[in-house]
Amino acid sequence: MSASRPVRCLLSGPSIPRIRPVVRCRNFHTSPNLCERKPRYPSIKASDMGLVAKEKKLQARENFKPYTAEEKAALSQRYTPDQIRAIEAGEEAIDPEDLDKKGIIRTGWGSLEYLDDFSQIKPVIDRAPGKFELQRAPVDPKARMMTEREILQSDFEFDEKVIAENPMPKDIDYTDEKTRATIRPNVADLFRGLDEAPMFMGSDGPISQKDQSLIAPGVPMDFESDISEGLGIKKTKAEEADIRDPEGNYDRLRKQTGLTLDEILDLNPKILVMHRVVNQTRLGKIQSMYCLAISGDGNGRLGLGQAKGQESVDTMLNARIQAIKNMKPIPRYERRTIYGEVEGKVSAAEVKLMSRPPGFGLRCQHLIFEMCRAAGIQDIAAKVPRSRNKMNTVKATYQALMSQRIPDEVARGRGKKLVDVRKVYYGGRV
Amino acid sequence: MSLVHLANVCSHLQNASKARLGLTSIPSSKQLLSLSLALQSAGFIQTVARGGLTPPRLESLSTYVPEPVTQENISTRRLWLGLKYFDNEPVLRNMSMVSKPTKRIWMDVEGLGRIVRGREAGFVKGLTRPGECIFVTTDRGVLEARECVERKIGGMLLCRVI
Repeated sequence: MSASRPVRCLLSGPSIPRIRPVVRCRNFHTSPNLCERKPRYPSIKASDMGLVAKEKKLQARENFKPYTAEEKAALSQRYTPDQIRAIEAGEEAIDPEDLDKKGIIRTGWGSLEYLDDFSQIKPVIDRAPGKFELQRAPVDPKARMMTEREILQSDFEFDEKVIAENPMPKDIDYTDEKTRATIRPNVADLFRGLDEAPMFMGSDGPISQKDQSLIAPGVPMDFESDISEGLGIKKTKAEEADIRDPEGNYDRLRKQTGLTLDEILDLNPKILVMHRVVNQTRLGKIQSMYCLAISGDGNGRLGLGQAKGQESVDTMLNARIQAIKNMKPIPRYERRTIYGEVEGKVSAAEVKLMSRPPGFGLRCQHLIFEMCRAAGIQDIAAKVPRSRNKMNTVKATYQALMSQRIPDEVARGRGKKLVDVRKVYYGGRV
Repeated sequence: MSLVHLANVCSHLQNASKARLGLTSIPSSKQLLSLSLALQSAGFIQTVARGGLTPPRLESLSTYVPEPVTQENISTRRLWLGLKYFDNEPVLRNMSMVSKPTKRIWMDVEGLGRIVRGREAGFVKGLTRPGECIFVTTDRGVLEARECVERKIGGMLLCRVI
């Protein structure tokens, strides 16, 4: 007998209640059991709501029309009858409804970051077709070294230009050394001619050496002046002295990377490792600070930056800047996880990263978590089996992320076709 | 059916790939021939040719008829494998044994199915890396694990190739 059960209970009636209370296995969290949960809305079939068109096949046919007689005539000008037969067979083989369902914009490795219809030429964005095409191309494909005669002609033209710019006075005293020195072209002009007179012949005549180097095309010849001046970009007042960056810490970075201050500040680099290092010299110990920072745009780019210096504040800033400068794209599967399992090893620190299904989260230690978050990876598992040195762990993780093998490249190497089964199952909607 | 030769071949192919060799030779046996043909059909190696101590001429590989094997020359027969490289990297990077000479591992379709899906089965790690293959010797010859699952046959796991 206990205090909770008085004697009355024992004496009156059966001790075991006839209707037992329903005891369910309760969870330790507050959300209701799955079996108890009721749907908020009654489930209605899409066909009842009239969302499913009965004549979907006809709709698809409207979207993907067969070739008209005119189009076929145009095709016959370009392709042989055999090729046209192949095209027609291909058109017939593909069900328009299937194309309507499956023909969607793909996301994945190698897909375009923007939408564009390459069959049309937009006058503002695209280069005009035809005669300007070759001229505007960054590198003239028909460029060649000038022949001797052409080089002579080019030098002659340069000298003539110099003479026209500096006309000779009519009566010159050739005996006087001072006046003789003023005669152009002189020795300096000769050397200037070597630099400036065209040496290459393009499809539209000589190519000026000032514009571009044919040995390293695409590299501007003029290294000293600011690039923004050459491109005709004027500095605004805000760029010259920003309140957020009054000391101009990011000026050089902005010039080197072409990022705006807004973009740089949005990247938000993070210091992961910071410690004191000592160099033992014969004069004594010289202390300095070591700093390791990561930076990522949360959309597949990640960079690692290291810096060492006396002042911790400067070192941190330098590490951040290095991290932004070193940002590189990281392959991501479905923009959320990595491709399969990868390993990285730096010194005794080994890192093993494993891809995981959607919604798994970042179940890994804090350093790898930070790196994945910065790179925009959402599902990953990781193991750091051996040394857990912070610096080496971060470096090994970066190495592992960079050493991923892309299935498309594997397939190309083997000459086989690899199919992403997830993509097929979900019709490319993942 | 010793697996010792196979173990040597695994190491040798890895070494040859790392040394960027174009052509290499392995001992000639029925087991190794069927494995190298399976490797070729999986796209890991370029060519498989039977030959002697000197490799067959490259230009006549397609029309080449190997010398008949006799009692005299049987000890000098070799298999000549053409290795593959793509994007400055070897296509066959890593080749390691699953069964060992002292411990063979046989597996049924169920276990192979788990391995192919990337799960562990019978102390054998799953195929978790892109393009990873396990070759299985069955009564239908040497097959890739995925093909075994497709045809519903089990067998002895030979080696794992990435």
